[in-house]
Amino acid sequence: MANFAVHAAADSLSNAKPKMNIKNLSFYYGDSKALKDISLPLYEQRVTALIGPSGCGKSTLLRILNRIYELYPGQRAEGEVTLDGENILDPKLDANLLRSKVGMVFQKPTPFPMTIYDNIAFGVRLYMKPSRAEMDEIVESALTRTALWGEVKDRLHTSALGLSGGQQQRLCIARTVAIKPEVVLFDEPTSALDPISTAKIEELIDELKRDFTIVIVTHNMQQAARVADQTAFMYLGDLIEAGPTTGMFSNPKDNRTLDYITGRFG
Amino acid sequence: MASHIVTAFENELRDINRKVAEMGGLAEKSVVDSIDALIKRDTILAQRVIASDGRLDQLQREIEEDAITLIAKRQPLAVDLREVVSAIRISNDLERIGDLAKNTAKRVLALKGEYQAAALLRGVEHMSEIVLEQLKEVLDAFGARDATRAMAVWKRDGAVDDLYTSLFRELLTYMMEDPRQITMCTHLLFAAKNVERIGDHATNIAETVHYLVIGEQLVDERPKSDTSSLTAVTYPKS
Amino acid sequence: MIDQGLYQRRKLRNRFHMTMSLLTAVFGMTWLVLILGMLLVKGVGGLSLAVFTEMTPPPGSDGGLLNAIVGSLILTTLGVAIGTPIAILAGTYMAEYGRYSKLTNVVRFINDILLSAPSIVIGLFVYGIMVRPMGNFSGIAGAVALAILVVPVVVRTTEDMLLLVPNQLREAAAALGAPRWTVIRYVSYRAAKTGIITGILLAIARISGETAPLLFTALNNQFWSTNVLAPMPSLPVVIFQFALSPYEDWQRLAWTGALLITVAVLTLSVLARVLVSKEAK
Repeated sequence: MANFAVHAAADSLSNAKPKMNIKNLSFYYGDSKALKDISLPLYEQRVTALIGPSGCGKSTLLRILNRIYELYPGQRAEGEVTLDGENILDPKLDANLLRSKVGMVFQKPTPFPMTIYDNIAFGVRLYMKPSRAEMDEIVESALTRTALWGEVKDRLHTSALGLSGGQQQRLCIARTVAIKPEVVLFDEPTSALDPISTAKIEELIDELKRDFTIVIVTHNMQQAARVADQTAFMYLGDLIEAGPTTGMFSNPKDNRTLDYITGRFG
Repeated sequence: MASHIVTAFENELRDINRKVAEMGGLAEKSVVDSIDALIKRDTILAQRVIASDGRLDQLQREIEEDAITLIAKRQPLAVDLREVVSAIRISNDLERIGDLAKNTAKRVLALKGEYQAAALLRGVEHMSEIVLEQLKEVLDAFGARDATRAMAVWKRDGAVDDLYTSLFRELLTYMMEDPRQITMCTHLLFAAKNVERIGDHATNIAETVHYLVIGEQLVDERPKSDTSSLTAVTYPKS
Repeated sequence: MIDQGLYQRRKLRNRFHMTMSLLTAVFGMTWLVLILGMLLVKGVGGLSLAVFTEMTPPPGSDGGLLNAIVGSLILTTLGVAIGTPIAILAGTYMAEYGRYSKLTNVVRFINDILLSAPSIVIGLFVYGIMVRPMGNFSGIAGAVALAILVVPVVVRTTEDMLLLVPNQLREAAAALGAPRWTVIRYVSYRAAKTGIITGILLAIARISGETAPLLFTALNNQFWSTNVLAPMPSLPVVIFQFALSPYEDWQRLAWTGALLITVAVLTLSVLARVLVSKEAK
């Protein structure tokens, strides 16, 4: 279990409110246990980074938060994950409703095979019936928010597949924020992008955290150090250590964390 | 601790550390020699101290460049980052210590032919013995990554300051008693100030060692008791 | 140092295999060219406006293939119209809803058998379940037989094409809160569209040349008929009948019919190719 008291020094978490709360969460792929008794708060208007070596369970943890794992058979979560106090793992809670509050951006850009405009309108139409003009406005504001409007405003009605990788990823973010979720999950959002596109996405995350609770899985330690307020280190399905990012990267408490972030893993 | 996956990273860190250790040895020797030169009025030794400062400056520049390159290349984190930052800080302190020793050595040249009074030197000699011990101790603490020993050095700095304040008072008294000693005493005053400053740098290094090992900045107030700036000696009424 | 002998031998072997591959490719192509050439030589002569405007004639008199062409169009259209929706839904089940179920494996296995089943068996089957109970040969029975041929082809391509759609795309749509059916309709189908259409085109190409299943079902009709409950003519059956007849004018019409079918099938295949290559870009 993480000890938050340890990293108490001047940090950005001290007056943050938990938006989601993971309590004693375990996860199974068939018979194998992929997550072991994880507990972690996710704070409102803060970025939480999940780091750890491949296979440590960080993506698995992320995929529980919007129950996207349910698309596949044989996967099971035990324990409790609350969103504003409500247990989202409760099967009575509609997964699609949950996903309207907890959005997700994936590792590879996943534009839908439709126009740029429709990529954003698709999600919006699931929840609202805006007029043509209202929809135009929603699309423009989502694209403006993700700093994409200037680049695509003249080709809104062309295929989204014609955009560059970085633009596609920003479109995916625009599409996610257009439906006004409360939490946004990022699963290694820049691992397929060049440094400039990466910088733009990081800037965007910084900007988005004013309105959303953000969780990001990343392999890039510097990225976690740059964007996250809270960092959690996972290893072999355990949450080894979590706390304010500054403390995690300058003075981690656990030797496994230290070995990992300093590149000493065997 | 396990070594890094990237061997070159490991070697680069070791190189930087080796250079800091070399600087420590050189700085220590400069201080010893400068005080020796002062006490024995040995101008040849003083010249050598002045000449050796170049190597310290060069090493300090090298360490800084190596550290910058390493940060750019490896983006060190946690203990590695502290190692690099500490190397920069300690090499800075050591370079300053070298400068102070050099300044003392220059004064030896300036004092050539001046009136000599062994009694005047005793205080400076005593003070430098203590400061040298502090410097040696803190460099050992750095070598051993021993925060406890470093903190012991840090706490003792107050004693050096006390010594300096009383030496200041003593030298002022001498000057008043015999104006022929003013040149000598003024130079000695500066030499003593140099030694006191070396003690301060040793304390800096102690703080750095604490940060390096513990991972947190030392926030306590430094034990300061240099009150020479507030010290005045009234002219004896004759 | 390089062993020169070894190097020379390898070069020689390489040349030998290149030559053999080229020869076999040419061998295969030769027959295709011969068939197409023969068809052109024998068929083009019979092409005239009458082929498209007049009914199949009795022996010894003038006529065309109009009723057979229209019959073929009706049968093929009906066959595709019946078979495709069933096949696409089945393929969708297999790739989307039932991807991990045992039923899907069973269906896929049976579908593969159906894919390679001789078409005459299917003709006999439909004869058994439709022609016999209804008491007469009919166009609808022929269409059903063709539909049964369409299904396995389209099931296979639909499943394959949907499986090629990256899961991340489905997850991305689901992550927006889209229900399953919306994800399939707006994302999976769109991404797999050209592939599925290609499958349908190939199925059409396959059934438009089928003779055997129609012999037992739609049979033939000398006359103009668009009644699907009555026997219906079709190009393959007419070709079959005319080509085997002793009458020279019938034989000539058979050649022309064969040319028409070949050109149609070829066009469909090329169209499918174009679609696929467009997709690849």
